Amino acid sequence: MLAIDVHQLRKQFKVQKNREGLKGAMLDLFKREHTEVMAVKDISFQIPQGEICGYIGENGAGKSTTIKMLTGILVPTSGRILVNGFVPHQEREQFVGSIGVVFGQRSQLWWDIGVIESFRLLRKVYKVDEADFKARLVELVETLQLGDLLNRPVRKLSLGQRMRCELVAALLHNPSILFLDEPTIGLDIVVKTEIREFLKRLNREYGTTILLTTHDLQDIEALCSRVIMLDDGRIIYDGGLEELKERWGKGREVQFQFTDPISLLDVSGLTSGFEGVRWTKENEVTAKVWIPRELNVSDVLSRVVGSAAEISDIKIFETNTDEIVREIYKTGSPEAKEQAKEAVRG
Amino acid sequence: MQQMIFNLSLFREYIANYMKTKLTYRADFWVEVFSDLMFSATNLIFIFVVFQHTPALGDWSEAEVVFVYGYFMIPYGIFSTFTNLWNFSERYIAKGEMDRILTRPAGSLTQVMLENVDPPSLIGSLIGLCIMGASWSQLGLAFHWYDPLVLIVMTLGSVLVYMGLYTALATISFYTDAPTGIAPLMYNIQNYGRYPIQIYNKGIRFLLTWLLPFAFVGVYPASFFLERHRDLVMAWLTPVMGVIFWAIGLWIWRRGVKRYRGAGS
Repeated sequence: MLAIDVHQLRKQFKVQKNREGLKGAMLDLFKREHTEVMAVKDISFQIPQGEICGYIGENGAGKSTTIKMLTGILVPTSGRILVNGFVPHQEREQFVGSIGVVFGQRSQLWWDIGVIESFRLLRKVYKVDEADFKARLVELVETLQLGDLLNRPVRKLSLGQRMRCELVAALLHNPSILFLDEPTIGLDIVVKTEIREFLKRLNREYGTTILLTTHDLQDIEALCSRVIMLDDGRIIYDGGLEELKERWGKGREVQFQFTDPISLLDVSGLTSGFEGVRWTKENEVTAKVWIPRELNVSDVLSRVVGSAAEISDIKIFETNTDEIVREIYKTGSPEAKEQAKEAVRG
Repeated sequence: MQQMIFNLSLFREYIANYMKTKLTYRADFWVEVFSDLMFSATNLIFIFVVFQHTPALGDWSEAEVVFVYGYFMIPYGIFSTFTNLWNFSERYIAKGEMDRILTRPAGSLTQVMLENVDPPSLIGSLIGLCIMGASWSQLGLAFHWYDPLVLIVMTLGSVLVYMGLYTALATISFYTDAPTGIAPLMYNIQNYGRYPIQIYNKGIRFLLTWLLPFAFVGVYPASFFLERHRDLVMAWLTPVMGVIFWAIGLWIWRRGVKRYRGAGS
């Protein structure tokens, strides 16, 4: 069964145009001008139950708008949404009982009172049975190691502690889908890793479907089997992470550490004949070579290793998602780029 | 009905949380009570000052005007406790807290009302009741067994008039970006309702009766108890107007929420 089914979804906002200067302000007073901004442009995708899907894109690409439509906060301009079998904005109160939401920038918790009090109140709001609540709380508190934080007021928690509490708050009613908007924003690496591990475990043990937006591609690499990439309100990539890397990762980098000082000219000479290979010198004894995807890494390696130069260390770097995504953003949609390439070739 | 019970149970929880919060800021609580009292006191003093210069307003005596003011304070206190929507636009629309409200399985207006519940305002209602009682004996009004029941019905009607109007007013924030200056205007008009409506001209009377029916939070329902000014039709219209305006307010709110567009991020 599909957890999320989105078809031709569109959201348009009316934005007031503010004219410049005092004269403009006076004109605005009498006759407002509006412009229509399309934040989400007829996107379609399906997410099956139990999948962890990353939803990425630059600021203003339409990620949050989509998430807000999926969670019933915003009413779409047109298109069809079905989440957990509900149309979110139409059956809101019934629907939201089956989802959990964590917005990294907004808190679900009451600022001035102990965390546990917020949880109790949420139990009432979500109509969770007392026994279920206790069992669930014990389990969540244990996995997220919140034991001694429960009685502290939220304002005295660190961001990392608060974020873990937010997760508990969103999961107390055992939702089948969890929406996360920037869940790791501003957190240190230790907490980030903890949260990722927790989400993975949640997905594994309960089959919770997770849709998360993030700017941190490490989140995606650690968690997601699938990525939906958004640019200017349109989906520009929807598929596996590996495939994304394979298709758009443009090459690999190998770093050599030599025992004797080398010059850029020396090392370039080693790989003469390989087209597209590019050397950069890191320091006296270290140099990096960039090998395009078309070439076989081992061919290049064997040439260098087989040469007279003595090598003390070799490191191979895979192009990371960060770079791929940056590259795609820079050039617009990968499909468009691909088409352009084809056109040149043909 | 089930919804009602659910909302009441939520109310209990929210009040409990309110209490826990306030216990951490005890001074704040008392400052609020004190400023509410000062505010009512100045209003009352104003009435006394006016009557030092004139023996009657229209054909209303001082004690009668004070009686109406006493009644006025009762629904106003209850309304302020439950419909504290003064900062709705800023907190829920501009800062986008409405997002959070809408992701929870309870009525959106119920949640907003409960999150802003303000029990100290109830003290105003109590004082209003005392003022009413004092004027009651001063005027030598007869006391009937049904008077307390009528008072409860009238108070509910007045509270609903308030809630309907202010809910509709808060809904405007869903439609416009900038918080408007309508709330203070409304507040000023509302204050006309606590004086005998007969002293105003026709236009204002029409406005206060049918358009922004603030006469139903003061003088009309209070007139039921004042033998000399009793206007049974208008008095019994209070609960009717209450239900009508509350329904309108709710309807507008439901439409407004669909227009919510979130804030930033």
